Parts: sequence; C-alpha cells; structure tokens
Amino acid sequence: MADETVGRGIGLGRPGWRASAGVAWTVFVARLKIISRYKGAILLESFLPVFFAALPILLGTAVAGNEQNAANNFFQNTSSMGQGTSQYRLYMLLGSSTFMVVSLMLWLIGYWIRREQETGTLEAIYLAPAKRLHILAGVTSYSLVRSLTAFIVAMTIGSLLFGVNPLDGNLIAAIGYLILGIPALWGLSFIFGAMIMRVKEANSVIQLIQWVVPFFMGVYFPVTMFPPLMRFIAMTFPPTLMNDAMRSALLNISSLYGPGYVVIGLMFMAAWITPLLGYEFFGLMERRIRRNAGVGQY
Amino acid sequence: MQEPIIRVDHLSKTYLSKERKKGQRGKKKVHALDDVNLAIHDGEIFGLLGPNGAGKTTLIKCLTTLLLPSSGDAWINGYDVLRQEDMVRASIGCMLMGDRGLYWKLTGRENLDYFGALYHVPREVRRTRIDDLVTLLKLSDFMDRTVETYSAGQRMILAFAKALINDAPILILDEPTVTMDVPTARELRHIVKELNRQGKTILYTTHLMHEAEELCDRVGIIDHGKIIALGTTADLKASISTEDIVELEGIFPETTVRRMRDVPGIRDVVVTPMDSGLTKLDVACENSRMMLPRIIDAVTGNGASIQVIKPKEVTLEDVFIAKTGRTLSVDTRVLGEKEARPRGG
Repeated sequence: MADETVGRGIGLGRPGWRASAGVAWTVFVARLKIISRYKGAILLESFLPVFFAALPILLGTAVAGNEQNAANNFFQNTSSMGQGTSQYRLYMLLGSSTFMVVSLMLWLIGYWIRREQETGTLEAIYLAPAKRLHILAGVTSYSLVRSLTAFIVAMTIGSLLFGVNPLDGNLIAAIGYLILGIPALWGLSFIFGAMIMRVKEANSVIQLIQWVVPFFMGVYFPVTMFPPLMRFIAMTFPPTLMNDAMRSALLNISSLYGPGYVVIGLMFMAAWITPLLGYEFFGLMERRIRRNAGVGQY
Repeated sequence: MQEPIIRVDHLSKTYLSKERKKGQRGKKKVHALDDVNLAIHDGEIFGLLGPNGAGKTTLIKCLTTLLLPSSGDAWINGYDVLRQEDMVRASIGCMLMGDRGLYWKLTGRENLDYFGALYHVPREVRRTRIDDLVTLLKLSDFMDRTVETYSAGQRMILAFAKALINDAPILILDEPTVTMDVPTARELRHIVKELNRQGKTILYTTHLMHEAEELCDRVGIIDHGKIIALGTTADLKASISTEDIVELEGIFPETTVRRMRDVPGIRDVVVTPMDSGLTKLDVACENSRMMLPRIIDAVTGNGASIQVIKPKEVTLEDVFIAKTGRTLSVDTRVLGEKEARPRGG
C-alpha cells in the first residue's frame, strides 16, 4: 500500500474466491431474470434452427424430385468427400442447431456489451472492483444455458417434424463434443464482444457474422466442397470442428479432421488457445478504449 | 494536520478527438486535464465546480479508473490509481451518470443486490445493507418494482443508493441532484451531510452554486482542464471581495451596456439572460455606494428599464466570473432542480 494518502479500509467489500464466484453467479442469475421478463423470447428463438434447416431440406427435395432421390444424391456427393450419409435431414438439422448455439453465444455477448454501453451499465460495471473475467464468466454461462436450451428444443421439434432420430447415433459422444467445443466459443465471443465495444455498433457486425459463420461452418454441406484456401480457413474455425465432430458421432460418419483422437486433440487445443487469445484481445481493446474516450462513450 | 485521502499529482489527459469539417476528416488533440494538482482531505466534502467541458468529469473518470491519464499520478485511500485499480474501485462509491447505469428490467432491490455482489459485499451483509438503505432513503414504496416503472427522481435516488451499497469510505457524486425534485434534492443533501458526519469523504461536483455553498468544506474551480481556484468557500469569496457588485434586473439594450462599460469606476459588466425574458447585469465597481448614481445615470434612457437594483453578496459564481471572465450559469442554466413532484407514487 502506498503512503501517498491515508487509508480507511474498503467498507463492506470482502474480496476472495467466494466473492468472485458470487459475481459470476449474480451476473448469471440477473441475466436469466432479465430475459425471463421478456415473455416468450427463449421459446421463439428455439424455432429458428427448425426454419433454418427446413429451407435447404425442402429445397433439396424439390430439386431432386423426391425424398429418395435427395437422399441418394446427398449420399453420392458427401461420400466422395469422405462423409457418406443419406440422412440429409438430420445432417442439416444438426448443422443449423449447432449454428444456433454458435450464433447465440456470439450474439448474446455482442448484444450484451452493446446494450450495457447504451444504458450506462457497462460504465457502472467498470466502476466496481469485480474482475472482468468473473463478469464474463457469468454472462457466458447465461449465454450457454440459453443456447443449449435453444439447441435441445430445436433438435426435439426438428426431429419430430422431419422424422429423424438423433438417438440412433452416439449421443453421448456428440454431447461430449458439444461441451468440449464450448470454451472455444467463449474465446470467440470475447473477441466478438471486444470488437463491438470498440466499434460501438452491434447490428452490422452481427448481420455479417450471421451469414459468414454458417457458410464457413458448413451448416448444410461438408466444408471439403470449398476450394483449398477457403477449406483451410473453414477448418481452422473452431465451430466447424465442433459441428463436424458432432455430426460424425450422431450420423456415424468419419470426421473431416481424421480419427477420433485427432478430433479430440484438436478440440482440446482449441478449448485452451481460443479463450486465452479471446480474453487477451478483450483486455487489449479495453485498455485502448480506456486510453481514449472510456467505456462510457457510446 | 489534515491528511489527504485523495491526491492528484501533475495529472494530465489528452484526447485525440475526431473532427469532420467540410467532408475532411482529421484528428484534434484535446487537453482535457492540464497538470492538475489536488489534495482532498480525509473526512471533508470537496466540491468540484466548473462549466460543461471544463474537465470535471475527465478528472473523476481518471480517479475512478474509467480513463487512463496521459501523464501524472493519483492515489485514493492509500492505493495507486494506475497500479491498484481494483482496490481503488473498492474504496469508492460512485454516482457518475445520474439515473443511467441501472437495469430497467430488474427491481430496485435486485439492482442493489447485483451491484453489491460486484463490490464483493457478502450476500448476508448485502441483504442487511439493502434494508438499511431502503429505510435511510425511503425507498420502500417502489423498491420491489422494476426500474422501468420509476420516475426520473426515483431512478436518481436508486442510483444514489447504489453508490452507498458497499459503504465505502469515499463517495464520488457527479451532479447527484440533477432531475431530482426540490424536496428530494434537499433530503439528499441532508443525507450527504450526515454521511460526511459519519466520516465519509465526499467529492461532489455540481453546477449549482447554492449546493456547493451549503455542502462543501472546500471547493476547487476547474476551467479548461486546470484548477483555477481552490480553498474554503469563505476564502474564495474573500479573495475577490476587494470590489463591490451591483446587481440590476430589467431590460437593457446593447448600447446601454456599452455605455456602462465606459463609465469610470466600473470595472466590468457581466450580462446574463434570465428565463423570464429580462436581463441581469452584474456591475463590478470599486465602491458601490458612491457609484450607484452614476450607474443609474448610465442606464437611464435608450429604452432601458430597471426593475430591480441591489448590492450583491459575493457568491461562488462571482469567484468563477472573477477568475474566468465568464458566467457559470450561462453554461449550465438548462440544468437544475426540477419543480417539486411527489416521490414514491
């Protein structure tokens, strides 16, 4: 403690691990309370992946002439890419539901930061001694719960609607891959949030990502259909890895990345590196903002 | 000897501000704070006064760690503002943005609980503290409603409660009574005094001179990023009391004002438009009794009409005028306490 001024303690604050866990929990609960006060928000967004999947499924059937032709064509095209499956409905439903998890994780962080900027609560948060990491832990946990809820509801409704059974595949492995893919999504959401904090605009970034992310994730097709450079970019994108791993488990097809141990190894790597990079980027952006106009300027 | 609890040492802040002129983009350097030195004593109410854009908010943002200064140092409560940010934040309760910074979809109680957690106040302590604040600030009528249903005054008082949630030894209040009705503002000032009596150090910014005079042990006047006057209100007033001020209210054409400025013995005439449509003139002169007939002579004719003429007591506003040549009220006359409106309903 410096001697430049007298010290009078810090009032009622008691920093420590319990207080830090309390920050994450309080933020998580507050976010849930807020969304629950917007009636029907969670349920409505759960229908989105079903519509996302319905478009290419119906288009594919229409182009192929009938369902059998569509299944045969899909098998033929995907088997030449090393992922032969005729279950094009489940392939696309799973792709769009996984995309929903990815996009919600990114959107929720982006909109959270933007909204907090606009309402002044971001500045209020920055006035408090709580670490940014603990606050982000609360927000990302909330976005995880919300996106998983959307995923489960969408998969259930979609399976009933399109007559597919995801339980035929290795569900446990698919859930494992989903969980293993989440930390990388957190990392991406930190980067995304930092960008929005800097540009002070969420809509244009979200609009762009809404199209770019599913394209590079290969929501409706294997990314091996891309030319080499695009394929490389797509395959280094963690959500593509997660999507492909889940598909390989549920559809009993081989992964584009190689055997299971390679997939798991890559996912572990992404789960470590992406959050670290994301948090570092967030901190960098935050320092830059504090050097100039401050977080209060919106 | 009084010990400082906040110390600012050669603090400067320069922004790069984007400019767009005639389709040309450019960046301009803005010196928001220029070599500020300041010591705020433990247990005092310190008023920071200045017009909009003077640097008050920038100084407060640097002290509260929201902004990084370009150069200089600052310490709060024994902690270095640049190196011990978390401890600095834990040492202060802030109300910086008026009624912004609240979650509108949460109730008042939920807001206080949320921010209490962010200040690391343990859950049980938080509950007791919130109950105490509800009693102290008379929040019970609206505490369990979502903030979206509050009036502006209710949101302000909740924002004030938020600043008290961690019971920190230092309170930083930036224009806390703006948008409050008169009785609530008076009540808040009373509570601020009471908190100060309990030992809290309070840094209070305001445009309202009567507030500063009522509350503050010492004031600092900031203009163009520099502290231009510092001391007790009595000292500051005494520092300019070598001249008298005669206050006139009425209708005064431009020619009348020019003629007055030419009268020997009149040092300065400050013109302030009033909300009523009349104009107020503050005439600074050496000896108001001797000068009064000459002032009346100079004003008479040319369509001028005097409605009120009186010798004026020196106020902090006059101190500001004497130091800067400008009036503070012109810059800030849109702000102020609103007409009385009942709170709680």
